Amino acid sequence: MRIIIAGAGQVGTHLARLLSNEAQDIVVVDPDSERLAWLDANLNLMTLSGDPTSFATLREAGAAECDLFIAVTPYESQNLVASSFAKSLGAKRTVARIDSFDLTRGENRPHLKHIGVDRVIYPEQLAAEEMLSSFERTWIRNWFELNDGQIIVAGVKVRAGAPITGMALKDFGFANRNFHVSAIKRNHMSIIPRGDDRIEAGDILYITTTRDHIEDLPVLAGKTAYKVRRVLIMGASKMAIRLANLGADQYKFTIVDNDLAKCRRLPMRCPDAEIIHGDARDPELLADLGIEDIEGFAALTDSSETNILACLTAKELGVKKTIANVENIQFISQAENLNIGTVVNKKLLACGSIFQLLLDSDSSTSKCLALADAEVAEIEVRKGSKVTRHAVRDLGLPSTMTMGGLIRDGHGMLITGATELRPGDKVVVFTLAGNLHKVEKLFV
Amino acid sequence: MINAIRRPLLNVRMLCRLIGLLLGIEASFMLVPLGVSAWYGESDWQGFAIAICATLCTSFLLSRFSNPRSSYMGKREGFLLTASVWIVFSLFGMIPFLMCERPLNVTDAFFEAMSGFTTTGAYIFASSDGLSHGVHIWRALMQWVGGMGIILFTLAVIPSLNHSGGMQMFNAEVTGVTHDKVRPRISQTAMALWGIYLSLTLLLIALLWAGPMDLFDSICHAFGTVSTGGYTMADGDLGKYAGSVYVKAVLTIFMFLGGVNFALIFKTIARRSATPLALNEVFRWYLGAVLLLTLIFIVDICANTHVNSWNDITVEPLFHVVSTITSTGMTAGDLTSWGPLALALTLVMMYTGACAGSTSGGAKIDRLMYVIKHIRNEIARCLTPNAIMPVKVNGKAVSPDIVSKVSAFMGLYVLLITLTGVVLTVLGMPVFESFVATFACISNTGLGASFENVGGDYGAFPDAAKWFLSGLMLTGRLEIYTIMVLLTPSFWRR
Repeated sequence: MRIIIAGAGQVGTHLARLLSNEAQDIVVVDPDSERLAWLDANLNLMTLSGDPTSFATLREAGAAECDLFIAVTPYESQNLVASSFAKSLGAKRTVARIDSFDLTRGENRPHLKHIGVDRVIYPEQLAAEEMLSSFERTWIRNWFELNDGQIIVAGVKVRAGAPITGMALKDFGFANRNFHVSAIKRNHMSIIPRGDDRIEAGDILYITTTRDHIEDLPVLAGKTAYKVRRVLIMGASKMAIRLANLGADQYKFTIVDNDLAKCRRLPMRCPDAEIIHGDARDPELLADLGIEDIEGFAALTDSSETNILACLTAKELGVKKTIANVENIQFISQAENLNIGTVVNKKLLACGSIFQLLLDSDSSTSKCLALADAEVAEIEVRKGSKVTRHAVRDLGLPSTMTMGGLIRDGHGMLITGATELRPGDKVVVFTLAGNLHKVEKLFV
Repeated sequence: MINAIRRPLLNVRMLCRLIGLLLGIEASFMLVPLGVSAWYGESDWQGFAIAICATLCTSFLLSRFSNPRSSYMGKREGFLLTASVWIVFSLFGMIPFLMCERPLNVTDAFFEAMSGFTTTGAYIFASSDGLSHGVHIWRALMQWVGGMGIILFTLAVIPSLNHSGGMQMFNAEVTGVTHDKVRPRISQTAMALWGIYLSLTLLLIALLWAGPMDLFDSICHAFGTVSTGGYTMADGDLGKYAGSVYVKAVLTIFMFLGGVNFALIFKTIARRSATPLALNEVFRWYLGAVLLLTLIFIVDICANTHVNSWNDITVEPLFHVVSTITSTGMTAGDLTSWGPLALALTLVMMYTGACAGSTSGGAKIDRLMYVIKHIRNEIARCLTPNAIMPVKVNGKAVSPDIVSKVSAFMGLYVLLITLTGVVLTVLGMPVFESFVATFACISNTGLGASFENVGGDYGAFPDAAKWFLSGLMLTGRLEIYTIMVLLTPSFWRR
C-alpha cells in the first residue's frame, strides 16, 4: 500500500517506522530536511522535503496515487488543509490529527468529509479514554476488548509473592484453563512465551481471557480490585481537560496547576471539576486536599520527568492508582519499570489508532493494538488457509507469534493446542513488532 | 523469540550467512563464462568449473553452518559486509584467471579481478588479443555486475534483505553525497536502477551488433561501456574496431549515459519529459565540463599535431574526454602525441569523475560543484563576514553538515592520492608513473597510458604495488569512507 505521512514529528516518525517494517511503501513529507535526513538514512522509506500544504510538494510525493494520506504535523489546521488538498489530488483515504473536541462530534463529520478529510485522530481523547478504562480496572496496566468484549486482553504486572510467580507456563495453563498468557514484557523486552518459560515477579503478563472469567484475574496476579471515586489531576493540560469532561459523571476530579492564569480559565472548560492553584508535588498541599481519600492520581503536565516524579510521590503517600503522561517515547520502557501504575502516551495511542485504520481497509484483519514492541491483531480465518489444516499444536507456528483466543459464532473462547481453527473464526494473534504481515499470510 | 537489546559488537554469523548467499549469486554469474567456454570448445571451461565448485562449496558451508541467532544488521555490519563482499567476490572471481590457458599468478589475478569488479579496467593480461572467449566474457561480466553494484543487485533480487540492514548496505555502497531513492522501498529502488542499467546495456548491444561487431564482441563491449569499466577485447583500445567512427560514436554516447545519475535517468523516463534532466544542476555541470574540455582538446590537437580528417578533431577528442571523465578509461587516439596539456587535463578528469549515482568513479562532479560553490562563498565572506551564504544546489540550500562532509571527502581524497603516490615510489616505482597509476586506480579509470619507464602496463609493477593498488581501487569504488571506517580502531571495539 502506498502511504504518505505528512509531518516527521514523533508520531510521524513512529508511524513511519511501524509501517515501513510492515513492508508498506512510505513517503514522509516534512519542511525540515534535517529531520528527514535521519529517517532517510535509517528507515526503508522515501523522504521529501517540502511544505505539506503545497500542491507542488503533494504532487511530487505522489498524492494522486496514494492509498492513504496521514497528516500528523503539530498544527490542526495544517493537517486539515493538507488532507483536503491530498484528497482533491486523488488520495484514496485521508486522516488528519486534530486537537479540538469540536471536530470529533458526529454532526460535524459530514462537513469534514465534504472538504476531503475522511477520518480524524484526536490523541487527547484517546488518552482520556485509556485513562478512564484504567481507573475502572485499577489492577491492570492495559485493557483491550475484542469483538464487544467477548475476548479480553489484559496487561497485568505480577507482584512478588503472587501465587503464580515462578510457575512454568505449561503448569499455569494446566491449572488455569480460562487464561492464556500470550505475551510477557520483561526487562524492556516483549517475549512470546513457550511452555517452558517461567513467570517471574515484575513481569507484565498479557493475558487473554473471556468475559466470564475476568474477575478471577486479580486474585491470580496477587492484586485486589478496589473502586476509584476521587481523582487528582496534576497539570491543566488539554489531556486533563478531556479526562475531566469525559469522566465527569463517574469520578470527582480535582485539577491542580501552578499557573494561576490557567487555573482562572479552567472553570469554564471543566465545570464539574474542583480547581486548585498550587504545586501537586508539594506534600503539604496534597495533605490539605485530603490525599488519603484520593484513590486515583493522574500526572498530565507536559514534562515527562515531572509526571513520573509526581506519581512516585503520590504512590508513597498512599494513592492506589497513578497514571503518568510520558511524552518521550524513549522514557516509556523505564517508566513502566518504576512503580507507577499506568503510563499513557498520546502519540503511541495515535499511532496505534492510525495503524488499526490501515488494517481496517484490509478486510482479513479487523483490529490491531500496538504495544511498545509487539502487536495484537484480530484476524479472520479464510477458507483453505494454512491454519485450518491441522490442530494448532501441529501447525508449526513461528516462534514470533502466538494465538490467544478466538471468536466463533459470536462467542469468545480460548485456544489450546488441540483447537482446530475453522473458516470464519476471528483469531486473536500476538506477534513481535514487524511480523504482522508474515502472520497474515498464514490466514489467507 | 526475544528482541534482544544487548547485541554483540558484530553479528558475525549473520555476516557469514549473507556472504554465503552472495557467493551463490557469484557462482551463478560464473555459469555464463562456463557456458561460453564450452560453446567455443575452449579448455578454459575447466577453470570456471573449478571456480564454480569452490564458490558453491564455500557458499553452502557459510550459509549452512553460520546459524545466526538474530538477523540484526546495524551500521557496523553494513559497512563490513559491503567491503568484504567486494573482496570475497574478487577472491573467488580470480580463480578462473589462475588456471586459464594463459594463467596469472595470485597477485596478478587478484588485481585483475578487483580491477574488473570495481570497473577500473586496469589490466594485467599482457595482450588481451589471445584470451579465450570465456575469460573475455567473465572480465566483461565482472565489470557489469560491479558497475551498478553487487549489493544493489542483491537488494533487487533478494527481497528479504529489505528488513535486515539493507538500508545500511545501500548507504555503504551507493555513490554520491546524498543517496537518491526513486521509489519508497530499497528493493524497488534497486530494481528500478538495475532496470535502467539493463535496458541501456541491451540497447547498446543491439546498436553495436547492428554495426561492424559480432554478437560476442558487442556484448563484451556493452558490458564494459555502460558500467564505465573499460576492459576491452584488445589492449586498452578498440583493437580492430578503432577505425570505426560508428562504434566510437555509439560508445561515446553510452559512456556519457553511464556517467549520468541513474536516479535522474529513471525520473526522466518515468515522467516522459526532459525537464528533470534539463533542470538538474549537476547534469548541466557534467555536460558543460565535457563540452568545454572537448573544445580545449580540439584546440590542443590543432596546435600540436597535423589534422588529417574531421574525425581527428570531433569524435577522437570527444571519445577521449567522455571515456576519461566517466572513468571508463578506453583509449582510442594516441594520447602522447597530443602534447602535455592533454595528459594534464586527463589527470584532472580522472580526479573529477562524472555524476554521483552513476557507474563512474572519481571524486564526482557533484562534490566538486559543492566545494567550488563553498569556496566562492568563503571568499565572498572575507569582505562580509556576517553574510549567511548557504551552498545552493538545484535552487535549494544545502545543509552545512553536508557541505562539511563533502569538504572532508575532497580533502581525504587528495590526501589519499598524495600518500599512495609516495608509497608507490617507496615500493620502487618512478614518481610520474606512481601518480598516474594512483589517479587511475582511485578513480576507477584504469587508464594505462605511458608507463614506458616501468615496462608498459600494470603487469610490470612490483607485487606490493599491485596489492596496494587493488585496495585503492576498492577504496575509490566505495567512496573512501566505507573502507576508512574499517581501518579505525573504534570500529572494532565499543
